[in-house]
Amino acid sequence: MTTKTAELDKARDEQPTPGHSAPRWTRPLRLVLSERVALLSVLLVVVVVWFWYLGQNDYLVAPYDADYLASALETMVPLCLLGLAEFIVIVSGRGGIDLSVGSIVSLAGMAFGFMVGQWGWPVFPALVLTVLVGAILGAVNGALIAYLGFPALIATLATYYAYGSLALVSNDNAPISTKPVQDLHSLTRAIDLPVVPDLPAQVLTFLVPCVLVVWLVVNRTTYGRRLYAIGTNDVAARFANINVRQSRFRAYVASGLLSGVVAVVTVAQFASARPDAGTVGNGMALPAITIAVLGGVAISGGLGRVAGVVIAALLIVWLNAGILLAFEGSDGSQFQLFALGAVLVLSALLNAITLRRRGGVPG
Amino acid sequence: MTTADTRSGPSTSASAPPVLRLTGIDKWYGGVHALRGVDFELARGEVHALVGENGAGKSTLIKIVSGAETPDAGSIEIDDHTLSAGSTTSALSAGIATVYQEPQLFGELTVAENVFIGRELRRAGVVERGRQHDAVVSLLERIGLDPRVADVRVADLTVAEQQLVSIAKAFASEPRILILDEPSAILTEREIDTLFEAVRRMRDSGVAVIYISHRLDELAQITDRVTVLRDGRVVASRPTNELSVRAVAELMVGHKLETGQVQRTVPDVEPALTAAGLGRRGFFADVDLTVRPGEVVALYGLVGSGAASIARALYGIDPADSGAIRINGTEVSLRSPAEAVRHGITMLPANRKVQGVFSSKSIAFNISSAHLRLLSRAGLWMDRGRERSVARDFIKRIAIKAPGPATLVGNLSGGNQQKVVLARQLVERPRILLLEEPTQGVDVGAKDEIHRIIVELADAGSAVLVVSADLPEVLQVADRVLVVRAGRIVTAFGRGARQADVLAAAAGDDGSTGADETPPGNRSSTTEVSAS
Amino acid sequence: MTGLVQAVPLRRRRPVARAVEGQELALVVVVALLWLALSLGTDTFLTGSNLRNIVFGVAAIAIIGVGMTPVIVTAGIDVSVGSMVAVVMVVVAKLIRDAGTPAPLAILVAVALGLALGSLNGLLVSLGGIHPIIVTFGTLNVFRFVALRVFDSKQVTGVPDTLAWFGGGEAGRGLLGVPHAGWLAIVLAALMWCYMRYWATGRHWYAIGNDANAARLAGINVRRRTIAAYSLTGLLVGLAACVLIGSGGLVQQNAGAGLELQVIAAVVIGGTSILGGRGTVLGTLLGALLVGTLTSAITLLGWRSELTELFIGLFILVAVGVDLVRERRRRTR
Repeated sequence: MTTKTAELDKARDEQPTPGHSAPRWTRPLRLVLSERVALLSVLLVVVVVWFWYLGQNDYLVAPYDADYLASALETMVPLCLLGLAEFIVIVSGRGGIDLSVGSIVSLAGMAFGFMVGQWGWPVFPALVLTVLVGAILGAVNGALIAYLGFPALIATLATYYAYGSLALVSNDNAPISTKPVQDLHSLTRAIDLPVVPDLPAQVLTFLVPCVLVVWLVVNRTTYGRRLYAIGTNDVAARFANINVRQSRFRAYVASGLLSGVVAVVTVAQFASARPDAGTVGNGMALPAITIAVLGGVAISGGLGRVAGVVIAALLIVWLNAGILLAFEGSDGSQFQLFALGAVLVLSALLNAITLRRRGGVPG
Repeated sequence: MTTADTRSGPSTSASAPPVLRLTGIDKWYGGVHALRGVDFELARGEVHALVGENGAGKSTLIKIVSGAETPDAGSIEIDDHTLSAGSTTSALSAGIATVYQEPQLFGELTVAENVFIGRELRRAGVVERGRQHDAVVSLLERIGLDPRVADVRVADLTVAEQQLVSIAKAFASEPRILILDEPSAILTEREIDTLFEAVRRMRDSGVAVIYISHRLDELAQITDRVTVLRDGRVVASRPTNELSVRAVAELMVGHKLETGQVQRTVPDVEPALTAAGLGRRGFFADVDLTVRPGEVVALYGLVGSGAASIARALYGIDPADSGAIRINGTEVSLRSPAEAVRHGITMLPANRKVQGVFSSKSIAFNISSAHLRLLSRAGLWMDRGRERSVARDFIKRIAIKAPGPATLVGNLSGGNQQKVVLARQLVERPRILLLEEPTQGVDVGAKDEIHRIIVELADAGSAVLVVSADLPEVLQVADRVLVVRAGRIVTAFGRGARQADVLAAAAGDDGSTGADETPPGNRSSTTEVSAS
Repeated sequence: MTGLVQAVPLRRRRPVARAVEGQELALVVVVALLWLALSLGTDTFLTGSNLRNIVFGVAAIAIIGVGMTPVIVTAGIDVSVGSMVAVVMVVVAKLIRDAGTPAPLAILVAVALGLALGSLNGLLVSLGGIHPIIVTFGTLNVFRFVALRVFDSKQVTGVPDTLAWFGGGEAGRGLLGVPHAGWLAIVLAALMWCYMRYWATGRHWYAIGNDANAARLAGINVRRRTIAAYSLTGLLVGLAACVLIGSGGLVQQNAGAGLELQVIAAVVIGGTSILGGRGTVLGTLLGALLVGTLTSAITLLGWRSELTELFIGLFILVAVGVDLVRERRRRTR
């Protein structure tokens, strides 16, 4: 390198550190604007309080209370788990993204359906195997991306088609809903807890443990460090003796694994293994990516927090639940789409503006 | 120092008014005074060399001329009209064209398209390919590129060819002032000769050329006048034929008190690192070197000399393809950083921003990133307490100016960022430490501290290999200086070597003190490696 | 890097002036082989109606692909085209059914509406400084919302055949029996091919995809070119919507869902680099044709239609894999 870079660096170094000269009172505002978790938390409180107020004053078609909020968490489980899957692969950098999660949900779900519904295997081993199937499907993505050098968008677009097709073909485009599969519904029954009645069981049995594990892996293990390192700067990671390819490969395995968990939950929830479970309509991948980005995961990699993704999922789910009560008929589900899109673009816009002002690069 | 070619001579250009005049240019980068009242005049039809050591202010000066930077004081006049400073567009429209070292080209477009990008010859919006093609062909012939490449994608060219294309691009804009920033660093002998021919022809047609180079031996071939910058000041501006390579080198380094030279005795033990006949095609060849424990060895070479590639080969990032590496006497294979680290080698990379820091992450994260196994339980769970205490330890030990281990590295100054990356290499005391440009873009205070750390490490028994193009640094810290030129180690100096001697050796002056004659054969040493 | 560059052996250069790139030639060969095999292997493949079906089936994808190609060439992406199609389809279908809008006006509305939606994407991408995938994920939801509001919870039935010229029926048949929609795709692709090849502003898209910053320094108006690419995609979505309405009948609420991925697949199979800077519309057209041929082949061979997507996936991997190998060979030459 040359003096030019040296001088450029020098110039950059000497720029005043942002935030030093600002008056004290702007700090909370600055925090809310720059810290995604803080912004989302404030929004979450505003949304819940607002709808609760509307509910109290009979603007809603049904009460927006603890029961309702708890039961709404049912839709949060797949959304949040896949949001975490996208979070991991996006953090791994190099344009990381996984379009295939929905197809993995379909295909692993069909595998689960076969194991439990057709071959009569006991539930627990079948469950573990299903998650494993998800991990293997994710490993294919990982190998294509990390070892063969495919752009993530391309590799997972291809496997989105391939896995989705295999899921449809596996049982002649028909769902598996034999008795043993229907019995799986008990996995997702509502349980009555003293404070939050009607809490769907999968929140406690699947979502909370997965969130904890992901949080631990990402924040407390050496792998978490490697993941953030390769996502932030994979050249520097290579100089720091980090196995960049292996670390990136594992991110996609993790994404597949989480999709496998969602497959189990989805089959249980619908009491049926549907071949198009993860791909019908816009599929599961697009909302999951939206949640991850809304949760503050920078599309350029290396930045993002588990808490952001979880709160983003919670915000969207409770906002959606409120919207559903505020409108008659199917109007609510339409406004949900609008809310999701608008919140995503606005928060990204906010990010770009605050980053630009702080002299960073928009992500 | 006379030159073989005939030219109009400085007398004609001296009589003409200067096409470019800089007066009292001052530039501060935060606390660094990069340029101090620089006056500079460029005459029509002259090739004017701008030389100086790294950090002397050459790059800043040309950035100011090309409008990429705004000066803090002083004025820029073109033909006695003041140029509005800090605007690339007004510089361009005033006829200033700059060729930077890293070509700003578009790989997927053809050579012809690149040359005309943004100002295509068009009729009703349609690119007139025929006319562009013809113009480019004659241009390529002038600068010595095969005209058949006119319709080849730039991505399919070699780096040297790309460099020539960006020069062609500058030529095509028919500039009145052409700035060439080390155009020869990556070119071959033959390419340089043709380039010089083209530059001479431009000069003869009245274009003024500012020529920046580290290769002092080529100044005589191409330039009419030399301006030497040192520490942001102009120390000399004289006709080239009044100066020898040695004289320019002396001017560049000045009469600095060569203080700080630590007198150390290196224990006479078996070398920790030995390379024999090491080579990597196209980068370096036949490199023999040894580094003993407790010794600081420097590889000194100009831009493009291949010194950095040698260090990278030793770290396994870009492995060598011939020769042998021995560590403590046993031959090892270094095909990846993992293998190098296993043998106790670590490396501080040159480009802090690209290869060094995780800037959006904390100091603790940055330091621990290369020692995850050490700073974890069972290689799995991070031991965050130890991670933090190691970071805190280093913040104190090597005086990183930061509130604490959680501070984001991106918020630190360059010097402190560099210390963080250095700390990363020191967590497990390295048996062999490779440092590439350890103080590039670092302020003076931090520079001294980093030098002190390097010497301390050697005292503690590490074998240290420093790759640097910063001559005072090399002479200050190194027990031995190996000069690299054109991919080979050409000479070695011990402690107490004079700066000018080392610089002259690196710049291609093979010890002939007068250097009144610089026959083309002089450069034959550069070509022999390439015979492979 | 060093002064030893002459050590690099001379290698064959790829002349760019060639009208057809390697990837495109390979695609032509693949499609031709498929056609040959299918004509020999089945009785029904090489019939007018089947070929018409293939062409009509991919016309909309190809038309949108003509816009998506420059978007991806500038290193962008637009995943909102499916929702955009839905908006235009429902608005235009309701106009011609309820207001009896004549065809020219309906087409004008379709194109203008598409253009407006596409420009919104372009503005957000270039002025908002947001990554295109995030912008278009957002607008994907918002546009779908708009479409559903206009649908008003009911699919649009009994759409008259005002736009039958575009359709797959008898009225949509043009020269040589090829549907007008197919001709439209071919003409648009030819225009775009010329534009991206010969027009200065078309070449600038490639420069932007290579290095947007250097492009700006070279005096290219990066923002305007970016907005142009997205707006153009919107405009072409408007035309594609006319094709999809075609002879009328039914417009369902899930219109256009998943279309974005099919379009991206066609573009990518056609050799356009998702990283920007490289690709041609001819490739996209061939990519779309390959997808259409596959779909038809699988039906004719009596395989399960669901297998089509498996093959699309595999073709994406092969097409991009070949390109990766080529790039790697070039780098390590």
